[in-house]
Amino acid sequence: MEHHATLVLRNRSIAKDYYELLFAWPEGLEPPKPGQFLTIRIADIAMPLLRRPFAVSGYDSRSKTAGIIYQRVGPATRMLAAADAGDMLDMLIPLGNWFPEPEPDATPVLVAGGIGMGPIFYFARSVRAQMLRSADRRSVGRRSPEQRAENREPVLVLGARNVAYLPTEDVLEGLEPVICTDDGSRGFAGTVVDYLKSAGVGKEAEAVLYACGPNPMLEALAAFAAERKLPLWVSMEQTMGCAVGACMGCAIPVHGPARYARVCTEGPVFDAKEIVWTSR
Amino acid sequence: MDLSLTIRGRRLENPVGVASGTFGYGSEYESLIDIDAIGALYTKAVTLEPRPGNAMPRIVETAAGMLNSIGLANVGSRRFVTEKFPFLSQRRCAVIVNVAGSAEEDYCQTLEYLEENAPLWGYEINVSCPNVKHGGISIGSDPHQVESLTAALRKLTERPIIVKLSPNVTDITEPARAAEAGGADALTCINTVVGMMIDTRRKAPVIPGVTGGLSGPAIFPIGLAAVYRTARAVRIPVIGLGGIMEADHAIQYLLAGASAIQIGTANFVDPEVTGNVLDGIYRFAERERIEAIEDFHQFID
Repeated sequence: MEHHATLVLRNRSIAKDYYELLFAWPEGLEPPKPGQFLTIRIADIAMPLLRRPFAVSGYDSRSKTAGIIYQRVGPATRMLAAADAGDMLDMLIPLGNWFPEPEPDATPVLVAGGIGMGPIFYFARSVRAQMLRSADRRSVGRRSPEQRAENREPVLVLGARNVAYLPTEDVLEGLEPVICTDDGSRGFAGTVVDYLKSAGVGKEAEAVLYACGPNPMLEALAAFAAERKLPLWVSMEQTMGCAVGACMGCAIPVHGPARYARVCTEGPVFDAKEIVWTSR
Repeated sequence: MDLSLTIRGRRLENPVGVASGTFGYGSEYESLIDIDAIGALYTKAVTLEPRPGNAMPRIVETAAGMLNSIGLANVGSRRFVTEKFPFLSQRRCAVIVNVAGSAEEDYCQTLEYLEENAPLWGYEINVSCPNVKHGGISIGSDPHQVESLTAALRKLTERPIIVKLSPNVTDITEPARAAEAGGADALTCINTVVGMMIDTRRKAPVIPGVTGGLSGPAIFPIGLAAVYRTARAVRIPVIGLGGIMEADHAIQYLLAGASAIQIGTANFVDPEVTGNVLDGIYRFAERERIEAIEDFHQFID
């Protein structure tokens, strides 16, 4: 964790209320791991006061650029949406834990709901790159869809309220997600859990689920995973004070004697079994 | 120039401390700043037994401030000794343990246990937490209980005792005088201000416990007035906090009568704020030919 002024490279709308901001990763700083987050001091004034947390949505090791995908919801994100290439942002970076890497014989199933797409897209690209590297060692040349399946390439599912909340094609490049919309305006009509059930995903015992999205989606997914006895790793969200483990503000309820865990320090990635689900 | 402060024979090297509850047990900020350069590190409150804290959400941002209801979530005195004390005992800065409890007996047992097992610079007694049902502000708003508790703790330690007061009273000078009469060596003004926010969509309080403690720039004038009045009501030093974001705010507290200050919420916004505030105080003192902390107090009656 370090405190840096970072250079904004690009900031643009990618869907209704959704933005992608790319920035130069600080020199000499360890690269972010998928699931990690950062905080931004939006303005040098008292309103908005607190730094805002955002999950890292991508990192390119060649150009040393990283990104966040965020939703414009209030004054702070409205101000962030107005940032331009060339502006500097005050960041604490990188923060929190990360998604555990899937075992070599596991089939990762990555599920993103709404603005939860950021860390899941980063993880999907990272898992895919790693699998390609290990697949290359097994076979040289182009791979057929069958070979891909055999290589246990990750399944990526993206849920959105409707088509307006789906990101532009270039954001999805190389990800090939299964699209689900609540109103059926694009792709599968229904929730991501409806899709997983209908597609028989996770019937194979070696599936391992990773998810980020709204709490009701994560809770439904946790029930689905528990029913099928599948591991599920979830990236959680909570209002934060310090984001470094000092203020105990970003607690969520967990099983066990401590009763609460800090999203910023013990998380943001948790084993879904640890969490006391309360969204219903 | 020497802006140190001596309380009961122990020195604070500089006037800028970090407030209890905003700096954990120190190690959380180790990779971001030089902790040893801080004037005083006031720990997260320690209670005899561990406390899980309050239901979520615990924090909500407000106009130029934040409302919190953490509920004294802490590891308890035994784990404080085994897990936190080793790091804290190696610090060159003054480490002041914030002690909280539900009743006088709790405070006494906790302080006794710490005195025995985790002796540090001194203690800050939290009689002003607005987010717990027992103890906290229910003691701090009653001058008799403040005096009785302070006197009981006084018998248990020769280390400095600093009593942290709440602004949620009609007249803050009453508990201030009571703490002084009980044997306190210094006072901290102020803890958070009771506040509330309602989520109109859910038509329910944002914080499950209904009210929380307001901190940040929004409460700066409240803290300043409390320090101004308290410093004129007691002879012991007053440590000021509430809404300090920059050196100018800290200097206002010193001019109002504070002998040291603490930075709370601003640590969340800018981890380097303590160093910047201290630099600003030194620059001001140099420009104004101020040689010692008492010199700040000569300007305003």
